[in-house]
Parts: sequence; C-alpha cells; structure tokens
Amino acid sequence: MDRPASRLDFAVIGHQDSWANIHTFVNRIRTPEQGTLSVEKVKAIFPFIPARDLFRVTVTSRTGDTIKGVYIDTFIEPDKLGVTNLRTNLRKVEDAIAFAKKLEAPIVALGGFTSIFLEGELSPYASSNTRFTTGNTLTSAFIVKGVEQAAVENQLDLRSASVLIIGATGDIGRACVGYFQSRVNNLLLCARNKRRLERLAGEVKAGGGRCTSAIELSTLLPRADVIICVASSSNLALAGVKPEAIICDAGYPKNLFRDAADRPGFLFHGGMGQVEGGYRFEPDYTDSFYQYPAPDIIHGCILEAMVLAFEKRFENYSSGRGNITVEKVEEIYRLSLKHGIALAPFFNDNGLCPTRPKVSSI
Amino acid sequence: MKTATPSLTTSETFSVVSDLFSQAITGELIGMSNFASLAETIDDYEEKMEAVEHADSERSHAEGFLHFAKEAGLQVNINLEGEYWRSVREQFLAYAGKRDFIACLFIQEVILESFAVSMYTDVGDALGGEAGKLFRSIAEEEKEHLDHSTEILREELRKDATAFVDKIEEVHFNCMTILAQFSATTDLRGHCGVCHGSCMKADLHHVGLDSATMRGNALALYARALDNIGIPGEKSMVWIAQLPA
Ligand SMILES: NC(=O)C1=CN([C@@H]2O[C@H](COP(=O)(O)OP(=O)(O)OC[C@H]3O[C@@H](n4cnc5c(N)ncnc54)[C@H](OP(=O)(O)O)[C@@H]3O)[C@@H](O)[C@H]2O)C=CC1
Ligand SMILES: [Fe+2]
Ligand SMILES: [Fe+2]
Repeated sequence: MDRPASRLDFAVIGHQDSWANIHTFVNRIRTPEQGTLSVEKVKAIFPFIPARDLFRVTVTSRTGDTIKGVYIDTFIEPDKLGVTNLRTNLRKVEDAIAFAKKLEAPIVALGGFTSIFLEGELSPYASSNTRFTTGNTLTSAFIVKGVEQAAVENQLDLRSASVLIIGATGDIGRACVGYFQSRVNNLLLCARNKRRLERLAGEVKAGGGRCTSAIELSTLLPRADVIICVASSSNLALAGVKPEAIICDAGYPKNLFRDAADRPGFLFHGGMGQVEGGYRFEPDYTDSFYQYPAPDIIHGCILEAMVLAFEKRFENYSSGRGNITVEKVEEIYRLSLKHGIALAPFFNDNGLCPTRPKVSSI
Repeated sequence: MKTATPSLTTSETFSVVSDLFSQAITGELIGMSNFASLAETIDDYEEKMEAVEHADSERSHAEGFLHFAKEAGLQVNINLEGEYWRSVREQFLAYAGKRDFIACLFIQEVILESFAVSMYTDVGDALGGEAGKLFRSIAEEEKEHLDHSTEILREELRKDATAFVDKIEEVHFNCMTILAQFSATTDLRGHCGVCHGSCMKADLHHVGLDSATMRGNALALYARALDNIGIPGEKSMVWIAQLPA
C-alpha cells in the first residue's frame, strides 16, 4: 500500500477491554462542536470499523536505540469475546493481520484475544516477510518475576507456598507451571477441561513436582498462598481466599471481579512491564487511552514485539500452545532488561499498590 | 404487475420497498447529474468522454430501477430537491465550479459509490427475487466505479501525500457529514423529502433490514475505500469518529 508512513519496526494488534474505554476514546477524538456521543451511539458504529492503525508508537531503549511501530485495532467488541462470536472475531483478526502485512511490519504482536490465531495454525502467515508473536513468553516472564518480587515484598517463602494457577492448561498457564514446578512447595491447577487438566497434572508429577488439580476453583482457593489468574474468562469470584494471599491477575480483560481489589491481601495486575526510555503515541491519545497509574507501562505481549524489534530478531518467537520453555522465559526477560524494559510497579484498579512494611509485627 | 418479490404483499413492505426504489432512483439521478457536471471540469477529451459514459451508466441504473418499479406498481417519489440529496449535489457543484476534478471524483465515486455499493448489496440480499437481483447487479457495476477512482486517487496521493490528505479531509467533512446525517437512525436534518410519510428507516425491519447495520456496513466500505487509496488509518479513524451520529 502507498502510505505516507515511514518504515515500521513493529506493529501491535489488539482490542479494547471495555466499552467505557472505547466511549472515552471516541469522545476524546470529537471536538466540543461535534458533541459527545452516547455509549449506545458508539456501540452502533465502532464494531463496523474495519481494522486500522490508530496511532504510531515510538519506543526508546536503554541503549539509545529508537524503534517505530503502529497500533492496529481489530474493533472487536469487548463484551463479545466468547465462542458465539468466534467467527466474526476471527475475521476481524484476519483483517488486522492483512493490514499489518500491507504496512510491511517485520514483527507483529497479537495481543489479548487476537493471539488465538497464533496458538493454532501458523501456515497462513508463511507467505509474507511479516513475523508474528503472541508475546506470551515475555508476559509469562513478567508474571513469574512479578510473583517472585511480590513474595519477597510480602515475606512469603515460595519454597513453602501453595501456588494456584487458574487457566493452568493455557499457553501462559503452562509456562507458569513449568517455571514454578521446581520452585514452590505445591502447585494447585485449575481449568474447566478435566482431561487436559489431568494430563498436565500427570506431567508435573512425572517431573517430580507436587500438585493438585481440580475443575472446581472453590476447592482450591482456600489452600492458595499465591493465585495466578491467566484464564480466558472474566468475573471470577475469590470466595474463601486466605486474607494474606498474593494474587496476580494477568487476564485481558481482567479475570477477577472489579471489586477484587478491595479485598485484603496483595492483588496486582500482572504481566505488565515498564519502559525506562519511555514510549510516545502519535497522535497522543494517552490522556484517554491506555492509562495506568505509573508512566510508560505496557502489556508484556506488546513489549515482546518491541524487544524483538530492538534485537532485530524477526521470528515467530511465541507461537502455538505449550511451547514456552523456562529457557525462553529467561532469554526474553534478559533481552528485555537489556533495553531497559523491566517489571512494572505493582498496581490494581485502585492505583499503585502500597508497599508493605518489610518487618511484620505478627 | 410484477409479483416476483414476495415481500411486496403487505402494505408495510410495499411502502418500504417503494421508498427503497425512490431513494435509489433519486441517488442514481444525482450521480448522473454529477458525472455530467464532472465532464465539464475535465480538459482531457478522453476523460471527458469517460465522464459522459459514466453519466450514461448512472442514467441506465436509474432507468433500470424505474422500469422495475413501474412494472411492480410501486409508488415512486423522485425528488432531487430533497434536503440531503440536494445538499450533496450542492457540495459537488461547488467543487465542479472550482474545476476541482479530484474532489468531484472523491464525492461521486468514493463517498456516494461506497454507500451505493454497500446499501444496494444489503437491500439486494434482503429483498431477494427479481428486485434483489437488480439491486445486486447494479451494486456490482457501482463497485467498478469505486475501483476505477481508487487508481486515480492513489496516483494523486503519490504526487503530494500531505496536500492530498488535507484536501480529502476537507471534502470528507463537507460531504460525508451530510450522508452521516442522512443515514443516522433518526434523520438529523429533518425529513429527506423522498420517503413516503415518515422516514422508512423505522420500517426497514419489515423487509429484514435495519438502518444501523446498513449505515455501519456503508461506513465500513467507505473506510476500506480510504485504506485502498492510501489514507492512513489514524486519519480515517478520526474522520469517522467525528461524523454526526
Ligand atoms: N498481560 C498481558 O500482557 C497478556 C495477557 N494475556 C491474557 O492472559 C490470559 C491467558 O492467555 P493465554 O494463555 O494465551 O490463553 P489460553 O486460551 O491459552 O488459556 C486460557 C486458559 O484458561 C482456562 N480457563 C478459561 N476459563 C476458565 C475458567 N472459568 N476457570 C478456569 N480456567 C479457565 C482454559 O482452559 P479451559 O478452557 O479448559 O477452562 C485455559 O487453560 C488471557 O486472559 C489473555 O488475554 C495474554 C497475553 C498477554
Ligand atoms: Fe449508479
Ligand atoms: Fe456509479
């Protein structure tokens, strides 16, 4: 396509996780004379818009290098991520992929739901120079390193802890299982498909790890010292959880009920990184779009494409399901740190998490 | 009388289908007039001839719809002076007066044809039968007009991207605003002067259509047309989000 844009180093394909965000974004674009549109009116237009690039992104590495990319939205409706809309949504992802190829992006992160494409069949992409990644390896890295950091801050010894993974059989879930199986006392594994879950539990045990698996979340929750939420479901409830439990919700959209942040214990939104050298959007929508309680925070999956772009490693780094090894988690994390991309400060819906006093009075 | 379209059996469907034909015929006549005026703005004799040929093609579309409507005994109301169609025509004439060929081409072949192709396809699929076939076949021909203009406009963008995008942005807001008001779920500038009684939009469900989907599909095709020309997504997103709704 003939475009006035300069050469791209990367692209990110994604979708919004709430109508509230989309409503704010659309009205942010409108001038006072054009007036604001109601959520209903936004809902009547937004889903029809074909995938397109909304803004350019410039990222700076600790090494001083700068890369340029674009964010391409699929215009998938945030409340229609379920199986009933699978066909429509897949078509939208396909559209976005075609768009990224037209822009000749060398590496593309498929964020959130859109990664479903890479978790299956890869052959449709063999035909172009564009490479794709789910970004799940760096996401997994930020989740596991985040949990370790949270354990230190909360004086929890992981070696004696029970770690619950909700969505254990998923791509990120399995990466977390692989990382923690030799590092914690006991793994508690949860997913809805019993057969896959039991197979995974069998693998953990065969590898010498200790684990319990159940499809009923409620039976595992009271035993968990740490809970990692990496399920493709939302509005999960946390009844019966230990008050001091460390909870990492890495879902997009979030796995847990919105009010989960008000419960006791330590809850943070995991899988997120922070860019030391900063990033810039053009047009700059940061006042209404992609807002976090600290500057320069980005999802791990997006950061993975950026790290690969800095490294000029244009390859399908994370693809398929269950291929994320501990070695790859460590590799991408190391490369990420090299470019000044580190674990984001802990935050949740209420803002930055207060740091706990180091010495407990109990 | 033609009875090939089963959906004409009730008074509600009769009225909606009549209105759909009235809008289509009026739109085609506007297109015909626009191409005729476009011929005036062109110096190159071959392009002049092509514009007249296009005008003739729109005339034949209007004639096709008129012929079918007469055969089927529909109540057609043609009104080139209706609020929205007249405004679109005025916008076109303003650019034609300035001999701005690119702006004219964009209004007629991108904005209007996007709406024509998309809405005729939706109507064709919903009506089925002979009427459906007619709408779909004309949609196919309009698609050729859309594709034809894309080539020329891409070339124009290649020459001076910034100036081109600025110009298209201006034409978009001058003209697309009118179509956005026209196609909103409730007419934002009053009655169109073409539909019988109140607006047909509320009654489209009688033939299995709804105005929000038709409008959405038309905007989607327009957005894709902008992509094909090479307008950056960050621009088209803003242009669409800023339209009246
Ligand atoms: N922070 C970040 O940067 C990123 C976050 N993500 C998010 O992480 C999450 C996981 O992604 P990914 O691993 O790719 O997804 P997958 O589809 O591979 O895995 C999802 C897992 O969740 C399980 N699951 C779904 N619903 C439930 C439920 N109600 N209870 C228990 N288990 C459930 C599934 O198993 P089963 O069907 O058997 O229940 C499966 O094990 C998603 O929300 C995704 O959007 C993804 C990429 C980056
Ligand atoms: Fe026509
Ligand atoms: Fe035409």
